[in-house]
Amino acid sequence: MTLRSTRPDARTDLLHGTLDMLILRTLVWGPQHGYAIGQTIRAQSSDVLQVEAGSLYPALQRLAKKGWIASKWGLTGANQRAKFYRLTPEGKKQLAREESRWSELVEAIGRVITAKPVE
Amino acid sequence: MDEDDFREEIEAHLRIAADERIADGVDREAARLAALKEFGNVALTTEAVRRVWTPRWVEFLRDLAGDVRYAVRSLAKNPAFAATVVGVLTLGIALNAGVFTMLKAIAVSPIAGVDRSARLASVFRETSGGRAVALTYDDYKEVRDRDRAFSGLMATSVATVGLGRERASRSLFAELVSGNYFEVLGVRAEQGRTLLPSDEIAAGAHPVVVISDGLWRRDFAADPRIVGTTIDVNHYPMTIVGVADPAFHGTTVVYDVELFIPVLMAPQLGFVSVPLDAHGFLRPEITIANASAQADALWAALAPKRPIADTTEHLRVVSFWRTPDGAPMILLPTLTVLSAMGLLVLMVACANIAGLVLVRGVSRRGEIGLRLALGATRARIVRLLVVENLVLALPAAVLGVWLAARGVPLLAGYAESLAAPRRVFFNVDVDRIVMAFSVIVACGSALVFGFVPALQSSRVDLVSVVNEISPRGAGRGRLRSTLVVAQVAVSLLLLVGAGLVTRSLDAARHTYPGFDASHVGAVTIDVKQNGYDPAHGQVMYRHVLDALRGESGVDAASFAAFDPVAFLATPARQVQVDGYVPRRDEDLACLWNSVGSDYFRTLSIPVAAGRPFDDRDAANAAPVAMVNTTFARRFWGETPRAIGKRIRVAGGEWRTVVGVAADIKYIRINESPRPYVYLPFEQAYRSEMVLYAHGSAPADVVVEKMRARVAALDPELPIATARPLADHMKGALMLFDLMATMLFLFGGAGMALSALGTYGLVSYTVSQSTHEIGIRMALGASGASIVGAFLARGLRLGAVGAAIGVASALAAARLLGSALFGVSATDPASYARALAIIIGCVATATIVPAWRAGRTNPLAALRHQ
Repeated sequence: MTLRSTRPDARTDLLHGTLDMLILRTLVWGPQHGYAIGQTIRAQSSDVLQVEAGSLYPALQRLAKKGWIASKWGLTGANQRAKFYRLTPEGKKQLAREESRWSELVEAIGRVITAKPVE
Repeated sequence: MDEDDFREEIEAHLRIAADERIADGVDREAARLAALKEFGNVALTTEAVRRVWTPRWVEFLRDLAGDVRYAVRSLAKNPAFAATVVGVLTLGIALNAGVFTMLKAIAVSPIAGVDRSARLASVFRETSGGRAVALTYDDYKEVRDRDRAFSGLMATSVATVGLGRERASRSLFAELVSGNYFEVLGVRAEQGRTLLPSDEIAAGAHPVVVISDGLWRRDFAADPRIVGTTIDVNHYPMTIVGVADPAFHGTTVVYDVELFIPVLMAPQLGFVSVPLDAHGFLRPEITIANASAQADALWAALAPKRPIADTTEHLRVVSFWRTPDGAPMILLPTLTVLSAMGLLVLMVACANIAGLVLVRGVSRRGEIGLRLALGATRARIVRLLVVENLVLALPAAVLGVWLAARGVPLLAGYAESLAAPRRVFFNVDVDRIVMAFSVIVACGSALVFGFVPALQSSRVDLVSVVNEISPRGAGRGRLRSTLVVAQVAVSLLLLVGAGLVTRSLDAARHTYPGFDASHVGAVTIDVKQNGYDPAHGQVMYRHVLDALRGESGVDAASFAAFDPVAFLATPARQVQVDGYVPRRDEDLACLWNSVGSDYFRTLSIPVAAGRPFDDRDAANAAPVAMVNTTFARRFWGETPRAIGKRIRVAGGEWRTVVGVAADIKYIRINESPRPYVYLPFEQAYRSEMVLYAHGSAPADVVVEKMRARVAALDPELPIATARPLADHMKGALMLFDLMATMLFLFGGAGMALSALGTYGLVSYTVSQSTHEIGIRMALGASGASIVGAFLARGLRLGAVGAAIGVASALAAARLLGSALFGVSATDPASYARALAIIIGCVATATIVPAWRAGRTNPLAALRHQ
């Protein structure tokens, strides 16, 4: 992965990419509707990551447009009508790619942070 | 995106979120509000989702529409600026559209009413000396029947013919054409039929004719039963079989051809020889060079079959516009210069507008700073400013085309009046091509004059804007100064060009062409137009001459086949000189004329040696000729030595040179001396002659007397043209005239623009320096010293511009080349005049605002900020 991008939208790309990865990850355990996706991310990050609807829904549309997720209306456990998103096979592959990129990035950052000064 | 579906999804989201809170024990209404609050801005989210699905270009167009709306609004707030820019650009575009319309008439659609006429190719013979020779009918037929390069090859010969009998008879342009003429051109008939290959079977067997739409409407009141009517052409009855398409005016580019006659009828109409131009469309895969090689190979193969094998001749194929002696070739140099000048005016206009845009950009720094502060990117702002310029450019394009559409016909009308009573037609329709050209030029200019200032304007320093510090940008001032310098330089170039051409026109008008045109009337008749054969024609001309000489107030009368300063090239003939052995492949040809006795006295052309033609040189007398001084010097060294020598013209009998006439201008006023041969009319008959009579009365009166005499002798003989010879000279100077008029216009426009530009710059500088002026005056500076300072600054820029202008004019004037006559490209008077005008303009444009500055009230100025 590269962070040396000089494009002005590189920053937003990084954020988008991270959110996309989180959404895809959340859907690994089965179809969920929009509200639940947001709640899951929030709960699993111990309230650190709060995904606003204003970012979540455009991200869902973006992923749907790329064909990584698919949607269908259904009923929730409480018998409420809601739109459920599920991972497509293409989406699963994408998630794998994103995760390996992410761990590489984290590892790299970790190495930088824990590096000892060169004597 | 499905909007309803998304709204439903949001509703479901809110319901679930609220239900969760209700389950936690929150009150129903409070839960609903909390869920809404948590969700955030529904409209923004919907918009963001929608954007995911909109293609980029839709978004681009939407932004663009917004920019256009904004630009229109902001320009409406500053109508003076908008009007000035549109006005200046309109002027620049109108001039260019006008020139382009003329250029288009040659390069894009030279023949009105024929599709893709620019792609026509022409076939002609060329001698080793590069002299073009028209094809004979037999040549044409051989090429047409054997050549494979053309998808069809037609032939045509333009001629004047007499139409009708009795007093209504008149002379008009006709084309003698091959049967496939209309088929090859793809021109259809509006009434009846066109001429067909079946109209080219047997000599003299096709008394049919197609008339032009114009003739049909003018002379036959658009009679729907015209087909089948018989008319008299050169006194020979011909049946009208059709009316050609209204858009079609023949293939001569300039003449308005009104009759189309089968070429095989030429002898019946009294034509002795028919020089043919052959044109056609090449097959798709064939190039011009290809076609030329094929045609020439064909020509070489056919050489043994021709009566006199002339191996030094080649057959060539060229693009239609390069047809030798065709109108395009004659007009092209003039139009090239005009195009260059047009572009220069456009450059001045762009520099001018760039200055305005720049000044406006400075006054908009606040607005631009605010946009930048709110997060707009520079690219976004540059785009907005460029859109603003395009919004200005498009109306200018429309207005420019409108102006050109009104102006070009005026010019064409002027040319038509010079040609009258001959009908000419200019394909100068301001059409879609011109429109497209203008829009492209306008948008191009908008980018040129808008882009650099836009870049400058977008480079705003936020801190200084917010703190309302007035600009101290030296760089921007430098750009403005550069623009003024550029305008002055280019205007000077234009003025020098205009000056040189005007002086050329002047010189051309005042140059003595070698003969005296004043008090001479010229009347053109063609006796075959009333059915005279050569024998009867000879008699008729003798009677006409006797009648003219008997007229009171006429002291000399004669006639000639070709006018002096003919403007259009007259045919050249091969010449053999006794005792001179031409070099191998040397093409010894020169122009010639058939003249009556007394010709030289009538036009006051001095006879340098020997005697002029007189009554001794009758048809059955010894063959004689006269030559001009240049001819005599070239072959015999001295003028008197020419007398008694022998020459042969076009393979005829040997003729004895009896006299040497002084050189005159034969085709153009600016031609260099060329050899010339005169033959006596009685020994070189032509049916079409120009009668000349010299008298003490005004030329108009002489012309009327001549007309009356000819009519008295044969009322049915059409008079082709009747005008003072001096008027003919005016027509011959038409190109000079056109060029001088246009350049004068261009120079004037450039000058006005650069004056405006300088004025704008100085006023702006003055208004920016109000504070400074106030301080200076408060400290005791006089008004005069302030004026002086600004004047000095303005003149300094003017001087720099003028210096660059003079340098580039010196470099460019040589390009005017053929358009110059009687003045050198470095003519000091032209330069001095242009300099005086431009410096005067700059000074005036500076003094007015500077004078206003000098009257500044120091107190008001100090309170200014």
